[in-house]
Amino acid sequence: MEKSLIIKKIGEILSKTLKHNNFEISDSLSADDVEGWDSLTHMLIITEVEKEFNIKFKLKELNKLQNVGSLIELVQMKIQ
Amino acid sequence: MEEYTYRKASTEDIPFIADVIIAAEKGASSTLGFSTLFNLSEEKVKEFIISMLEEEIDGCEFSLSSFNLVIFQGMPVVGVSSWIEAHDNPPSRILKSNLLSYTFPPENMDYFRTKAHLMQGMSVERDPETLQFEYGFTSKEYRGKKILFSLMEQLLSETKRDFPEVKKAQVQCFSNNQPSINLLTNLGFEITKSVRTDNPEVLGVLPFNEKLLLEKHL
Repeated sequence: MEKSLIIKKIGEILSKTLKHNNFEISDSLSADDVEGWDSLTHMLIITEVEKEFNIKFKLKELNKLQNVGSLIELVQMKIQ
Repeated sequence: MEEYTYRKASTEDIPFIADVIIAAEKGASSTLGFSTLFNLSEEKVKEFIISMLEEEIDGCEFSLSSFNLVIFQGMPVVGVSSWIEAHDNPPSRILKSNLLSYTFPPENMDYFRTKAHLMQGMSVERDPETLQFEYGFTSKEYRGKKILFSLMEQLLSETKRDFPEVKKAQVQCFSNNQPSINLLTNLGFEITKSVRTDNPEVLGVLPFNEKLLLEKHL
């Protein structure tokens, strides 16, 4: 899958879960930068990403995620 | 007379800690949020809490390494979780969320999605580099002896000594949990923030509709 499509889908998941578009997807975007991205929405985002791409993250993979860039990279790696 | 002793938790304590977490989550109610929000029996919740503790992730309320116990006659009777927020780890809210999304089955996460709106406005941020307390609990027959009070006092003192850069301790509790509020105010904590929802559905899924943040300067 093209990286641009992964980015688009992750952006859609963020918008749907957070119920707003007040952010710009970038590699450095993180939970601290986005209103409403708290522990509960984080859970929902992770499970939606797993569902969308038909993948399952390992716990150590989740805990190494720093920002949206690392999430995109991880998704790319797992769907290859 | 045998004394109470205090130690950090180890893997053998995991079943007791799971009971501590469940009892503390209920607080002054009989409602277990993990059951009502995720459509799980209490037995299943305990099973998942044990799984999360067994991962031995550091830095959040489901970290085995964060639990401190008081032992009497060889058995744990009091427990409390404490950690320094985002000290050498990601924020605890991320670690906790990762553990929950990793452990809970997809169908239960789907159920949570239908209830997540009830949690809006009920979360309180933890400040980085602050001492956090969570899941304080005393077994029934040991209450009224200030054991948890003494344990928390000791942990506050040790943090002040070992981490002088940590200037504040924070605790969250529901505002109907008067025994916890009394204990915390006796320890020198003050209520600094409250969050509340007036959605009547909330009382069916959470112990109460108002949560307090209490803080103490170290």
